[in-house]
Amino acid sequence: MKTRIFLPLAAVGLTAGLIAVSGCKTSMNSVENAQKTGQRQMVTDQRVITDRSLAKKVSIVGVNQVITPGGFLKVQIELLNTTRSPQSFSYKFEWFDANGMLLNSAAMPTYPDEIQGGEDKFITGQSPTPASKDFRVKFIANIN
Amino acid sequence: MKKNLLLSLAATVLPLAIGGCATKAHYVQTGGNQSIVSIGAINIQDYTQAASTMTSELLASGVLDKVPNPPAILAISRIINNTGQQIDTDLLTKKIRVALLQSGKALTTTTFTIGGPAEDPMAQALQQQNQARLNQMTARTPDFTLSGKIIQTAVKEGSTSQSTFSFQLSLTDPNSGLAVWEGEKEITKQGGRGSVGF
Repeated sequence: MKTRIFLPLAAVGLTAGLIAVSGCKTSMNSVENAQKTGQRQMVTDQRVITDRSLAKKVSIVGVNQVITPGGFLKVQIELLNTTRSPQSFSYKFEWFDANGMLLNSAAMPTYPDEIQGGEDKFITGQSPTPASKDFRVKFIANIN
Repeated sequence: MKKNLLLSLAATVLPLAIGGCATKAHYVQTGGNQSIVSIGAINIQDYTQAASTMTSELLASGVLDKVPNPPAILAISRIINNTGQQIDTDLLTKKIRVALLQSGKALTTTTFTIGGPAEDPMAQALQQQNQARLNQMTARTPDFTLSGKIIQTAVKEGSTSQSTFSFQLSLTDPNSGLAVWEGEKEITKQGGRGSVGF
């Protein structure tokens, strides 16, 4: 009697579970030119990892930078979602002057972002003043 | 007996559970990832994001560097609010003005205005007084005017709501009347209800 009730319930649970899991899976295909014209000026980076789970899921592939014609430091970070599910995170750029002092700006927001399963994407930031010489980017997993 | 026990247990646990959900008043970082996210309203982090993105784009365009007498002088024109809520557009423009001033690439005039009184009527009066005394223009005329629009697009499907806020800005050269730079930042929020935190 117990088995009779348990089996259909288990089947329903398994189906619902599979639907739920497959609904969260995403994947990303892409195509690009093989012979690159642009040369990225890669930066040797230094990382502080306190959220190993986020670092494993959303890995930092590389960092490159450029000085714009106006004298602003522009930084680009390549991220890769190593999982098959979308990952939601936030990031914030911080900028430092030649003396290593943090530059406070009126508009230095925390950007919410999402990366699809297996996706490789870039995030960019531009310094608020030409006086910015160094940078730091903070990443945090979103709660919602 | 059992019923009484269950009732008293529920009476004890329920207030605790409800009370546990409410948070005490506390400070959070303005625009940080603990901010409240509303579907149908522009939150403070949306203004900061829009202002930051468009300021970076404007500075990167190099258009402000092309004025004959740098830094460029900017006059704030009309920002139209096409959303369903009453907003103060200074929440967007002030952030842009401060960021441009800090960049050293542009200054904003507070004595030029359209329609109503100038942003700084005292400065405007003193400026007019100086001009009358010296019998010549003392103020630099703006190199550019900044105008824009904020638009809300709201849709609903079942219990899920989605709002897109489009922040559009145009930088116009008053000599030619041509928009020399245009920027747009769209922010889309989706969900069943608002939440605390990103």
